[in-house]
Amino acid sequence: MESIITTENLTKIYRGSIKAVDSLTVQIRKGEVYGILGPNGAGKTTFIGMLTTRVTPTSGRATVAGLDILKESLKVRKRIGVVPQDLTTDEDLTGYENLKLVSRFYDITANEANRRIDQLLNMVQLQKHSHRRVKTYSGGMRKRLELIVGLVNDPEILFLDEPTLGLDVNTRMQMWEYIRDLRKRLDVTIILTSHYLEEIDALADRVSIMDNGKILVTDTPSNLKNSMKEDYITITFASPDDLKLGEKFFSNNEKRFSGINTLRVKVPNSDETMPDLINYFSSHSVKITRITIQKPTLDEVFLEYTGRSLRDEERGDARKSMFTIGRLRR
Amino acid sequence: MSGLIPLTSRELIRWYRNPVSLITGLIQPFFWIALFGSALGRFPTIFLQGAPNYITYIIGGVLSITSVFTAMFSGVNIIFDRRLGPLGRYLSSPIRRSSIVFSKIFSSTLRILVQVAILIFAAMILPNGLRFENGFSLFDSAVLITAVVLLALIFSSLFSIIAIRVTRMETIFGILNLVNLPLIFVSYAMFPPGIMAGWINSIAKYNPVSWSSEAIRTVIINGTLTGSQLANVGLWLLYLTILAASLIILTYVISERGIRD
Repeated sequence: MESIITTENLTKIYRGSIKAVDSLTVQIRKGEVYGILGPNGAGKTTFIGMLTTRVTPTSGRATVAGLDILKESLKVRKRIGVVPQDLTTDEDLTGYENLKLVSRFYDITANEANRRIDQLLNMVQLQKHSHRRVKTYSGGMRKRLELIVGLVNDPEILFLDEPTLGLDVNTRMQMWEYIRDLRKRLDVTIILTSHYLEEIDALADRVSIMDNGKILVTDTPSNLKNSMKEDYITITFASPDDLKLGEKFFSNNEKRFSGINTLRVKVPNSDETMPDLINYFSSHSVKITRITIQKPTLDEVFLEYTGRSLRDEERGDARKSMFTIGRLRR
Repeated sequence: MSGLIPLTSRELIRWYRNPVSLITGLIQPFFWIALFGSALGRFPTIFLQGAPNYITYIIGGVLSITSVFTAMFSGVNIIFDRRLGPLGRYLSSPIRRSSIVFSKIFSSTLRILVQVAILIFAAMILPNGLRFENGFSLFDSAVLITAVVLLALIFSSLFSIIAIRVTRMETIFGILNLVNLPLIFVSYAMFPPGIMAGWINSIAKYNPVSWSSEAIRTVIINGTLTGSQLANVGLWLLYLTILAASLIILTYVISERGIRD
């Protein structure tokens, strides 16, 4: 598959010692949603900063849409769209004026810009509010506006840096819908950073797990989860006899009893185990009342590679989220 | 320089939408005129270089100070764009980085011209206010506008450079507070050189605020200039031009080399 971004040992060192991004070599494919998952401070934003030519690398090289990020930075900026972590729209201007302002940074005619702005406003359902000043927008509306500001120039590549940071769960899921929708409608490669596991899982075709400036692993979310080989099947049997009979099927698995007539078993791959299990239960007339399959989340994958859980990080960063929320609500 | 026109119009829209900033920008200079002008109404005219009253004498200084203040704050404005986010957007857009800075410099110059027009009008309608006893020609107004604009370019460039290099808000406001009093009082903006202490006078000579104040003052008081007055005004404007041009070039180089995010 054709690569649209390639980096070679891309490195950024701040103040002589802090390696924010440590010798990254990655290839991002044309048309995919490429996710970067990692805690705050992992180097995601710095990595994006270099690819969007805002941050100068300390060493290494990278090309974006075939253009060198150092030598051809102005050309790179013409072909990418950026939705930074921070809010970038001007509160004193209306939504429409913000879009118009940014459109004038690119070589597009006024007619073309207007047509595009209309299309984008429709896509995120801001048409009605486009002539209100941004300071009157709700947090979710502002984030939606930020999203389409990054699309005004019809970019080949869209960078989304923590697009739902500080949003409540409902608004976040709504944003995901918009992101999926724009991907369907527009021919654009998306680079998405997030420290929300569900976000990467819901949106990314491939994900890199990043920690301390390094990428630890890159694969599709489902491959990563399957590689954990730890699915849990929880079965509640109709009677103690059924339990005794059913238990025999799992003679080689790690298992424990949890509750009345209930067994929790760890299996490497539940997709392969389930057909056999069903056959066994029906041929031995084992009666069950309930069965639950639990697949590993990306958090287990993250834990495996970093030794830490990303969920703890999510809690720890409540303060940062509060700050962003404060700004969104202002 | 793509980006310059859209960004300048953004600044002007914001200004037009926040009339409070225009009004507060005018209150202080108006106080200078009204309070200083009346408090020092009995200022011995012998020191006033031929002005009929103190307001006529200080108006050149007040216009210069207004220009300096508005210019300093708009130069520093870039820190708000950095703090509130828009700067990040501009830095990842295909525009010259200098256009971000120059949009602030140019829009502030336009704002200053509006403020100057309002202040002149206010000073004229005050009792015992501004009087053009020897007329005011087209040439005189050209001198006034040139002086005010050059001074605005000097201070907005200077403070843009500071705001590009210094990212801490507290530091920048510290610098602003530190310089504003000396800029006014160690200059010929409010007081005639004749009554100044010698050491202040010898510093004030090199203050661009003095050059602008004196140039405007000379044309307002005299209307038609004598040969030596013309030479002085020319010299002051030349100094201002050289300083403004060098600072603009420096601003261009520094902003293109990289605005810190």
